Amino acid sequence: MRLGGSDPHTLAGAYAMDAAPEPDRSRFERHLARCESCRQEVRGLREATAALAGATAVRPPAALRDVVLHAAGQTRQLPPAVAAAPAAWAPARHRRRPGWRPRLAIVLAGALAAVAVAAGVVVVTFGVQGRLGQAQHRDHMVATVLSASDATMMSRPVSTGGTATVVMSHRERALVFTAADLRVLPTGESYELWLIGPAGTRSAGMVDGSGHGRMVGPMVVSGLAAGDSVGMTVEPASGSPRPTSPPVMLIGLR
Amino acid sequence: MTEGQRRSPGGSSGRPDRSAKAGGGHAGSGPGADQLGALLGRVARGDQDAYAAVYDRTAGQVLGLVLSIVRDPAQSEEVAQEVLLDVWRSASRFDAELGSAAAWVMTLAHRRAVDRVRSEQKAAEREMRVASSAVAYDEVAEAVEARLDRERVRRCLGSLTELQRESVTLAYYGGYTYREVAGLLGVAIGTVKTRMRDGLIRLRDCLGVDP
Repeated sequence: MRLGGSDPHTLAGAYAMDAAPEPDRSRFERHLARCESCRQEVRGLREATAALAGATAVRPPAALRDVVLHAAGQTRQLPPAVAAAPAAWAPARHRRRPGWRPRLAIVLAGALAAVAVAAGVVVVTFGVQGRLGQAQHRDHMVATVLSASDATMMSRPVSTGGTATVVMSHRERALVFTAADLRVLPTGESYELWLIGPAGTRSAGMVDGSGHGRMVGPMVVSGLAAGDSVGMTVEPASGSPRPTSPPVMLIGLR
Repeated sequence: MTEGQRRSPGGSSGRPDRSAKAGGGHAGSGPGADQLGALLGRVARGDQDAYAAVYDRTAGQVLGLVLSIVRDPAQSEEVAQEVLLDVWRSASRFDAELGSAAAWVMTLAHRRAVDRVRSEQKAAEREMRVASSAVAYDEVAEAVEARLDRERVRRCLGSLTELQRESVTLAYYGGYTYREVAGLLGVAIGTVKTRMRDGLIRLRDCLGVDP
């Protein structure tokens, strides 16, 4: 009977279920690298967990398929690993996606050009006051966010239709928001963006979805605080001081 | 899943010495398993039709697993989306020598879901969660294969001791660490580690899955 943590083998089950936090995890992976039979065991246990996963299947919303397939078409793939193979699959825990950055600049540049051409008028919100800025200032802010070394792109379906895309930079404490194919709202209603976090819920401005083409934005939202999420709700066209309806889109800004 | 494959209860875990054997299909080894692996090979070369097929075979399981851990539908969809894009991005890293394609995908999904719930719980998301939990999901109950899988999993889970079953389900479906599971069950940490391993070994043998 093995008790306590002296025998690393006992961790195989917890490891296979991602239930071994650091530093146990790294310790066990070092052990795996030296132990072929352990790798074999972890493989078998992972197959068992995949069977557990199979029992949870649900029917995903149809919109998810479109969003994912579309995003894949715009996402650069990783080359095959050429270095020594890892001991067992240890998919990298990438918080950032370096492969996306050069690409997203292109994607966003395309989106911005499309908006400029299609809409002619672009409403830009600077910070919580929502004051209109000059075009140069906006372009400068957009460029600053897109070129930030920590820029991250996230795309999410909007539950009422369409897709929202955000490029954010923690360093610049700002994000650029665009959306495509949003459902056209009845007169008197408008989409409103929010920053929600420990710093409170703040309006980040009204989204101008006034029906020019399929893209809206770009909006620059500044004043990000730690732990913020960006959300979008449907509000009276004049805006609301607080969200009055459930969010149709929410993105955690990690 | 013959008796001979089973570990003696309690003794369990001995050294991992299981010899390779053709498995009777489940996620990892069912009729669709090789196809999924082959599709991933095409995805690695940028084949978007193959990716659509991979999506259709895995999205329901990915979302279901993520939902069981993350709970909040909006966040779960975010995570599922990230996972499915990860499959696209890193298909070239899938190595059939290291396990089945289904296990690879579900490992990505489980890890991302767990990362999400273990990252500092954001007040913002909690605040919004209340409002955004209206989404309902159909269980894919009418799909015969899925139902059979479900029944088999239930039966095999039923063959575990209570402590093994609780340890495995809290860790896998709940996303808890073994220390948290020990706390939840009020048992020693070493005991929980052992039960997780013994429980999974028994499940593996009962399900007849093969690496």
